[in-house]
Amino acid sequence: MLKTLGKRWREKFEFGIFTLPVLICIAVAFYIPFAMTIRYSMTKWNGISKHPKFVGLDNFKQIFSGDTNFSDAAWFTIKYAILYIVIVNVLAILLAVLLDMKLKSTSWLRAAFFIPYILSLVIVGFIWKFIFMQGFNSLGESTGWAIFDLSWLGTPGLAFISILGVSIWQSIGFYLVIYIAGLQSVPEDLKEAATVDGAGPMRRFFSITLPLLAPSITISVFMALTNSIKVFDVILSLTGGGPGGTTYSIAYDIYRDTFQNNLYGYGTAKALILFLAVLVVTIIQLTVFKRREVEA
Amino acid sequence: MKTNNNKAGKIILEVVLVILSLLFLYPLFLTIINSLKSFSEVMTDVIALPKHLTFSNYSYVWEFINYPRLFLNNFIITGVGLLGIVFISSIAAYKLARTKSRWSGVLYFLCIMPMLIPFQSIMLTVLQTAKNLHLSESTWGLGLLYWGFGAPLAVFIYHGFVKGIPTEIDESATIDGASGFRLFFSVIFPLLKSVTTTIVIIDVMWIWNDFLLPLLMVNGSPDTKTLTLAAYTFVGQYTSDWQYAMTAMVMAVLPSIVVFIFLQKYIVKGVVAGAVKG
Repeated sequence: MLKTLGKRWREKFEFGIFTLPVLICIAVAFYIPFAMTIRYSMTKWNGISKHPKFVGLDNFKQIFSGDTNFSDAAWFTIKYAILYIVIVNVLAILLAVLLDMKLKSTSWLRAAFFIPYILSLVIVGFIWKFIFMQGFNSLGESTGWAIFDLSWLGTPGLAFISILGVSIWQSIGFYLVIYIAGLQSVPEDLKEAATVDGAGPMRRFFSITLPLLAPSITISVFMALTNSIKVFDVILSLTGGGPGGTTYSIAYDIYRDTFQNNLYGYGTAKALILFLAVLVVTIIQLTVFKRREVEA
Repeated sequence: MKTNNNKAGKIILEVVLVILSLLFLYPLFLTIINSLKSFSEVMTDVIALPKHLTFSNYSYVWEFINYPRLFLNNFIITGVGLLGIVFISSIAAYKLARTKSRWSGVLYFLCIMPMLIPFQSIMLTVLQTAKNLHLSESTWGLGLLYWGFGAPLAVFIYHGFVKGIPTEIDESATIDGASGFRLFFSVIFPLLKSVTTTIVIIDVMWIWNDFLLPLLMVNGSPDTKTLTLAAYTFVGQYTSDWQYAMTAMVMAVLPSIVVFIFLQKYIVKGVVAGAVKG
């Protein structure tokens, strides 16, 4: 009796020793700040006064009843996220199919497309800012193409396209690698059987390859979704939100309110809305895509 | 005849793809050649090759941002972060996967749930928590903070992998007299080698390049900055001196590219494994 009690106690003790460090670290990094976020979101606070003033749900009312900064940023983020997810995945699948054929330069090609992904997004933003501002001048002069004379960072529509293009340039290698891995698990004999049955390349791609790629698509769309909703770094260094504040994303808007305008309570309320949006959208995405996967 | 056609088609395709990949990397090429030019040369023609190589940009930036110091900072932050993430996540994931109780289920959920919290949602309060714990304005403190930020994904990946290791292994080790940490480190941890590689690769790329957390945490003094952060402030001050800006860019990204070239195979494998399990 005593012995078994001792053993159970020792097991519990060991369980604690093994799991406590991670729980403490995660609590410090996420749960404590998250609880504070909920509290601050209901206050008016400039970060200086000792006691934030409790205002209940006023911040949320204000955000939803006419904060054009927030609605503009939300609209920007939604447009960006949808286009980013679709374009990056379609391009990556196409490229992966090409690179899955046994070519001599396959390993060079994979490395080349992957390289931008290992660079920090802030630096990628600066490199492209340089290209758009200085490089396009020279390219325009030497080629005479009008496309290089456009103000890619100076007009609202083009600045949006620039941000989208640069983000895709930086990250396409990541999705490419996932799709190549997915393609390699598609059994060769299935494709051969389809060829024997008379299916052309297009038919084979849409009826066999694509359905079998479903798990890779689920993962890639999930990654693209979570990353695009949080887009921040590349905008900061590429356009800084300009021209005329047309390229602020939600994450950037929150950063601006909290750290530049010192609206701590208000910015935190926006941060909480962002969290809820991310939560709902990712849960919906995962359920829908997983269900499709099972059927396929 | 048909195979000949196929062969020709393949060669054309290959040439097109190689040209495409060179175009794809052209921005990086432009960055490098412009870091080797003088100011006036950058302003007159960006796409031309440098007439003579100007390495003075490099020595200037090296001194100005105190490159060795920044490199060391990045190294400390990434090293401290990684060691902690791997250690605390692997032991916890192992215990949580092996213990069948309601508690362990709940704790596991608490561990991985933060993957859904965007950093921007908590950035202000993270900064405050770090200040309260005296972790801010220090490279070691920043490294420590990454333990919590990196743990959810690491626990998730380790947990999935441990479930695939038969419990008989634990049992026979226990019979041989090993238990607790002994069992874990001499029997289980070596079996986790491939997952550990994956986690190390994903986290090195992330911590080394991270921007927002260092910006909030260690931006105060030039001694605690990271490479990306220094490049960011440097360009902020020198917006028109593009030759210096490009040099700073090259110096900030060079370590990543060198590492990538040497560990290419593992990096790609690690990313695939991480993404598929994550």
